[in-house]
Amino acid sequence: MQTELLAPAGNLEKLKFAIHYGADAVYIGGKQFGLRAKAGNFSYEDMVEGVNFANKYHAKVYVAANIIAHNDDLKGAEDFFRTLYEIGIHAVIIADPSLIQLCKKAAPNLEIHLSTQASITNWRAIQFWKDLGISRVVLAREVSVEEIKSIKAHVDIEIETFIHGAMCISYSGRCVLSNHMTERDANRGGCAQSCRWKYDLFEETNENESQIITDDAAFTMSSKDLSMVEHVPDLLNLGVESLKIEGRMKSIHYVATVVNVYRKIIDEYKQNPNNYILQQTWIDEIWKAAQRSLTTGFYYHTPSDKDQLFGKPERLPKYDFAGLVLDYDPQTKLATIEQRNYFKIGDDIEFFGPKMHLFKQTIKEIYSIDDEPLTEARHPMMKVKVKVDQPVNTYYMMRKRK
Amino acid sequence: MSIELIAYTRNVEETSLLIHDVNIDSVICGHSMFSLRTLGDVDLDELIEIRKLTNQYNKKLYVSVNAIFHEDMLDELTSYINKLDALQVDAIIFGDPGVMSIVKEQHIKTKLFYHPETLATNYKTLRFWQDIGVDRVVLSNELSLDEIIEIQNNLAIPVEVQVQGMTCIFQSKRPLVSNYYQYTSMNKEEKNAYFIRQAKEDDTHYPIFEDVNGTHIMSTNDICMLKHLPQLFDNGICKIRVNGFLKSMDYNVEMAKCYREAINVYMEDSDIYASQVTQLMEKIEVLQPKHRKLDTGFYYKKQIY
Repeated sequence: MQTELLAPAGNLEKLKFAIHYGADAVYIGGKQFGLRAKAGNFSYEDMVEGVNFANKYHAKVYVAANIIAHNDDLKGAEDFFRTLYEIGIHAVIIADPSLIQLCKKAAPNLEIHLSTQASITNWRAIQFWKDLGISRVVLAREVSVEEIKSIKAHVDIEIETFIHGAMCISYSGRCVLSNHMTERDANRGGCAQSCRWKYDLFEETNENESQIITDDAAFTMSSKDLSMVEHVPDLLNLGVESLKIEGRMKSIHYVATVVNVYRKIIDEYKQNPNNYILQQTWIDEIWKAAQRSLTTGFYYHTPSDKDQLFGKPERLPKYDFAGLVLDYDPQTKLATIEQRNYFKIGDDIEFFGPKMHLFKQTIKEIYSIDDEPLTEARHPMMKVKVKVDQPVNTYYMMRKRK
Repeated sequence: MSIELIAYTRNVEETSLLIHDVNIDSVICGHSMFSLRTLGDVDLDELIEIRKLTNQYNKKLYVSVNAIFHEDMLDELTSYINKLDALQVDAIIFGDPGVMSIVKEQHIKTKLFYHPETLATNYKTLRFWQDIGVDRVVLSNELSLDEIIEIQNNLAIPVEVQVQGMTCIFQSKRPLVSNYYQYTSMNKEEKNAYFIRQAKEDDTHYPIFEDVNGTHIMSTNDICMLKHLPQLFDNGICKIRVNGFLKSMDYNVEMAKCYREAINVYMEDSDIYASQVTQLMEKIEVLQPKHRKLDTGFYYKKQIY
């Protein structure tokens, strides 16, 4: 099997962007059983449209149903999985055996992937799930490159592993900070991200006395975000079947940028592994979408303080998603753009599109949709025309440094 | 209906006290190489002694093997499980499904208790484990009493619940306290005990510690279900565990004793339970460290999501 690039899609628009920018598969959430209660999530109608769209591009759509269910959460699960199968969803991502059982019963031919929430860290555990008919496991984020190698040597199953995005600092599924501090159940989509809060740390000096340690700097447990942009070949060489990007809550700008880079890297390496050279442009692109500093997590070593966020956040290159290209007229070299952030004549901006087509330019001409000259694009979602230096296409994006 | 009172033990001495002073029914021990958050590291030699002692008094011995295992531990794990089987411990408590694979392959006869901490939350899931040969399930602590009862009513095997002590609320593979010390260039003493406090929540007190399994954070309060035990027993929830984690041997034994007395009162005359436990509650409040408040965990709490 070719290595698959798997991208998040919080809604239908994000699904289309992810696929246009080169994702082989996307994962989405339904209205039930998912862990991202606040992501847009897909109605059945959206799923139908998403699957039709994906099929056109030979891409796959997976549905995350990865809650750790309580008794009352199981109602409607069979209908849910049956409907997903009828819609043509290609696989479901599940953590809880109850939902695995209900899915098998309702839709015996629907492929099941075991979610990272199940904390799978060794080949014996994978063997257990394989024997029960699971076709793919999503590894815990605590598994290293060496451990994947060992797993691959012991058990023949599809391996999916995260390459990019935000991470739980705990073993996923093994944290109930949110339940205890806010009464919101993290394992059913209510996570309040309590790990990223600031705490005071104390040392117990004796039974009833303690000494504060955190006078100068607060104690936090926030991880930098995962990025394997510089190490993708290590995973490709191991024969990992699916490389996963986190972020169903992220913007289309984020999804397009990150997918674009990893697509390019996978294609370049596959085409010519011996002469593969990591390009600085790719790394730069990743940083333009980054929301936190980046780390390789557990892939090469146990994360140290350098892999966590302490103190003031590092300054990141901040880019605004300025506009989305809706249309392009090669005659006039005018692109019709939907404004997503303020821009004006004289701004230095960059355009990018699928296959890592990137170029920079200064905005010289803006027109209204009725061809009246404008000096700026002031209103969110307003449509304007902008003169572009190179041909662009629908799904291209325009970004501007803050 | 037979009520089973279960406590953790860290060595032969504590086991002996739990047997003689408490008339404990069952003890749990383990080693941090293989288990999460046991009272102490019980090695095989000590385990053999504890087995002798528990056999002598007809008490059950369960060994906790519920760590999340990585590749480098699998060979040692297989050998350990075989040794436990040879020692005829009464049950192996596991959380990682990898243990099931090993047990099947090695034809292990010892009973299996499933204790995955946060993942034992509904009866269909637990029925799945029951159907593949698990003999008991240890429920997640973040369940309401109603949910617990519904789970037990839908299972043929017993459920076990924690009724006393702190609970684990977080486990990371990362050394989070050491990392903080590294960041601030301070020196961390190996043996020191730590806790964290929520900003603006001055009375919170979450113990945090590191071991080979990573960093663990424990609850700010201790569960104390003593007053409400009849609600458990009346509904067939009869396997109850007291947890003296991060407490002294003396505390662990004295606390277990309170629960034994409460069970005795219930068995003799459940109608006078409410009036009789008041004294026991007073005793518990004396035992309890001042900075550790008591509550009823999630038994009567409603969660949102």
